[in-house]
Amino acid sequence: MSLLRFDDVAIHLGGREILSPTRFEVSRGEFVCIIGPSGCGKTTLLRAAAGFVQPSAGAVLRHGKPITGPSREVAFVFQDYGRALLPWRTVEGNVSLALEAAGVPAAERPARIARVLQTVGLAQHAHKFPVQLSGGMQQRAQIARCLAQEPEVMMMDEPFGALDAMTRESLQDELSRLVQDSGLTVMFVTHDLEEAIYLGDRVIALRANPTPEHPSLAAMIDVPIPRPRDQLSTKEHPEFLRLRRELYQFLGHH
Amino acid sequence: MARLFRWFQALAFPAVLIAALEWYTRGPGAGSEALAPPSLALKAFWSAIADGTLWQATAFTLGSAALGLLIGALLGLLLGIVLGLSPRAARMGFLSIEVLRPVPSVALIPLSLLVFGFGLRMEVAVVAFATFWPMLVLAQAAARQVEPRLLEVALALGLSPRERVTKIVIPAMAARLFVALRLGVAIALVVAVTVEIAANPNGMGYAIMIAQQSLDPALMLAWLFWIGVVGFLVNELAERAQAWVARRMGGVR
Repeated sequence: MSLLRFDDVAIHLGGREILSPTRFEVSRGEFVCIIGPSGCGKTTLLRAAAGFVQPSAGAVLRHGKPITGPSREVAFVFQDYGRALLPWRTVEGNVSLALEAAGVPAAERPARIARVLQTVGLAQHAHKFPVQLSGGMQQRAQIARCLAQEPEVMMMDEPFGALDAMTRESLQDELSRLVQDSGLTVMFVTHDLEEAIYLGDRVIALRANPTPEHPSLAAMIDVPIPRPRDQLSTKEHPEFLRLRRELYQFLGHH
Repeated sequence: MARLFRWFQALAFPAVLIAALEWYTRGPGAGSEALAPPSLALKAFWSAIADGTLWQATAFTLGSAALGLLIGALLGLLLGIVLGLSPRAARMGFLSIEVLRPVPSVALIPLSLLVFGFGLRMEVAVVAFATFWPMLVLAQAAARQVEPRLLEVALALGLSPRERVTKIVIPAMAARLFVALRLGVAIALVVAVTVEIAANPNGMGYAIMIAQQSLDPALMLAWLFWIGVVGFLVNELAERAQAWVARRMGGVR
């Protein structure tokens, strides 16, 4: 059975149809990337899946039950890491917040914090405050906090969009490895086509200004490129180039 | 050496002023009922220290100012958070607040006197009323300005409503709250002394009134000087506390 099911989900905001009825499923352990031009509703779709907004029609189901609000099982990585971290808490303290919320006893917290910080490569920076970290490290800290809540699904809203190219690539590789090792399910929103193909098992392309003839869901494409992937060889893979061309045309002419 | 010179520069003007006052009150203005030579004021000051009246009055004024501020600030903070986080509560409270807030706090002295009689309680009540409003307004603004993203993070992590206030909202407000608290400290001291001058037979305000009514300008000037010193020290302390918190909590953003 699928983990998440989008059952003809439509979303209107301010009287405008952001997302026309959209239907797809996400299986356990799958890495699904969502791409589309700005204003196509990709972030809104992700927020609906996390329970931050309610669909105007249809429903998002997790294990067959409609999502009515945020849940600890669904983690959310925000794009603006600078605002999503508590500036008065250290990296360690920020990760600890997830454990405090989950009611983990104080005695168990240090070991679990150390473990997730190790995973994201922040063990050396546990006692630093967010302002003392680079953008890439702040985003790692936010991902660490999401991992600490031990979610079933991780929603990521353009998490690497504000980072420089070098940092973005190393974080992509680390995320790929981490997800493969942990079996986490991920929904990843991006407007970067190559990022979507490189990371995803499947890419969902949305289009802006949907009409009945041209619904929001423009294309859904499997990415049969083997893992582990690599920044050089994967991006030269014939399949990668073919998918890039195909998706580019979908996004180019809607 | 340069530092010493700076101090000398800063102290030169008050020294000249004091010397001029000493000269005037011993020469042309001798026998004045309003002014006394600073040397006599100093003597009166020492005797007030020696017989304990200085400490007793100071303790009373500072104690009631602190207690009133504590009550006013706490209530203002609580209501401010509620009004800041809930637009519905803000709409419901808006009119009552706008009507009550401009009431000058000292106009409450007669009512407070009738309710509580002379003593600590009536003074604390007036100070609490005076400090409640600025705390309320500033706490409400601070709560409204809490980063909305942090509230979403709290929801995604599954923090309980109580944890959301104690772990997100209050720390996020801290730097702004201490600005409000500093303001409150200054207001509390002014109002406490005013209440004592106007009605309450206790504290520094009453002491300066008594000195004036018994035509003792030396003692009156001594109290005036001391009230100034206390005010300066209390505000300095509050300012340092605020700067410390601003450093610790990442400053007002």
